[in-house]
Amino acid sequence: MRLGMVIDLKRCMACYGCQMSCKAEHGTPPGVFFARVLKREEGHYPTPRMLFLPVLCNHCSDAPCVSACPTGASHYAEHGIVDIDHDKCVGCRACMMACPYGNRYFHDERRYYFGDAGPTPYEQACSDRYPEGVVMKCNFCRHRLAEGKDPACVENCAAKARTIGDLDDPKSTVSRLIKERGGFTLHPEAGTGPNVYYLAP
Amino acid sequence: MNRYDQLIADLRSDYRPQREWGEGRGVLMVIGHFLVGIAGGTWLMASLYGVTAGLAVAYVLAALGALAHLAFLGRPERAFGMMRHFRTSWISRGFVGLALFLIGGGVYLAVTLFAPEGATGLVARIGQVIAAVGTVVIIGYMGFCYTASKAIPFWHSPLHPALYIAFAFRGGIAALLVIGAVTGAAAGAGLLEMWIGVTAAVALFFALEIHGAWSGGNVAARWSVRDILAGRLALLFYGGTLALGLIVPLALLLAPGVHSPVAMALVGLASAAGDFFMKLSTVRAGVYLPLVIPARRQRA
Ligand code: SF4
Ligand code: SF4
Repeated sequence: MRLGMVIDLKRCMACYGCQMSCKAEHGTPPGVFFARVLKREEGHYPTPRMLFLPVLCNHCSDAPCVSACPTGASHYAEHGIVDIDHDKCVGCRACMMACPYGNRYFHDERRYYFGDAGPTPYEQACSDRYPEGVVMKCNFCRHRLAEGKDPACVENCAAKARTIGDLDDPKSTVSRLIKERGGFTLHPEAGTGPNVYYLAP
Repeated sequence: MNRYDQLIADLRSDYRPQREWGEGRGVLMVIGHFLVGIAGGTWLMASLYGVTAGLAVAYVLAALGALAHLAFLGRPERAFGMMRHFRTSWISRGFVGLALFLIGGGVYLAVTLFAPEGATGLVARIGQVIAAVGTVVIIGYMGFCYTASKAIPFWHSPLHPALYIAFAFRGGIAALLVIGAVTGAAAGAGLLEMWIGVTAAVALFFALEIHGAWSGGNVAARWSVRDILAGRLALLFYGGTLALGLIVPLALLLAPGVHSPVAMALVGLASAAGDFFMKLSTVRAGVYLPLVIPARRQRA
């Protein structure tokens, strides 16, 4: 089984629901966004338009971050999910230079959203998950998948723009969408084999 | 700007600069690469010219470089784990190479300096061979670390390893010039000519890399070139690399009369400083590939 995601850009309305639900699910520190929504203006008057591009780790099949990692902290977990073992990471950041999608963050020091007021109880509870001096990134919500749930960004997408499923199964919804609507990946020229596909807006 | 605001500003920009290698504590990584590169070149040149003081200097530089690398890591206490993935990771290969160099070089130097009668014995020979393998690795691996960085198109160039190998040679020659001046030994035959030749090679590789990045069609690589030649890194490049690393040594070498030891030491120091600024500016010039929907996919 190869887990993958399809994001329908025609449905996405750039509400930032995925970005916020990811933050809520993982309690990531300020400045860290496992899921992000990029906005960009295209075209000229009288036909300009906004393009939205939600991004997250592509859980690449040939992940350069995994090859570049000297310790094996970055690794392939079940179903092709790319994850980081924080207990092995030395914080060399080679993976950050290898990921062509800029989806990794170095946690240099603890920061909280309300500065001098200190951590909220929620931040306090989440902060143990993220040791300092290591790199962090999206793990497709492995803990939720293990409980039979979808990742938080999929579950909370109000427009139902995100679908997760088995890319190895030609009958799965993700495979069908990619085939029928011509799904594409970002930077295919990098040869990373991304497992997050997009459907044109 | 504090780190959080900087990160948010970077995430918003079309050409997001990498700041982890080369800024803040990341400078330690550039210093580490610089010292280890010079160490490899110095060991090689000192072996070639039979300068024992050069071997000792190379060893000290490598040890300092290793410390700089450790200080850069987020979790230095786990550094030994970095030997695990040498099959795929250039950083891992570099770590193994540096360890071999420090072990083999240490054995060889210890015998040569403290028990000279054993300098041609088996233990010294084994140390020498291990150090030689380590030298080849530490001279070669750094450029490949950058070339393997797919996120940064400017570094992702096949010329980068050649450039870093040439830097190591230039650093080694510079170190021998300084050591010669300090110890009062005459500069080895052909050392200055070699410096000129290697400097020409560095300039050629760099010019080719800049040309390739500018004309190769990758917008992020072009942005990096613009940053070096006419942007946020221009001062480092023109002041540090060109003026200090090229014009000052050339002016000293071309000055009429006999080259004094002080002049030779200055040539070596300026050349090495220029290499440091060159490495710093090319590392800082790295910007990430922008994330955009490909033009032909912008409409269903
Ligand atoms: S998107 Fe980046 S971090 Fe995720 S698997 Fe691919 S290369 Fe690694
Ligand atoms: S920072 Fe951690 S996960 Fe990234 S390459 Fe280094 S050891 Fe591996």
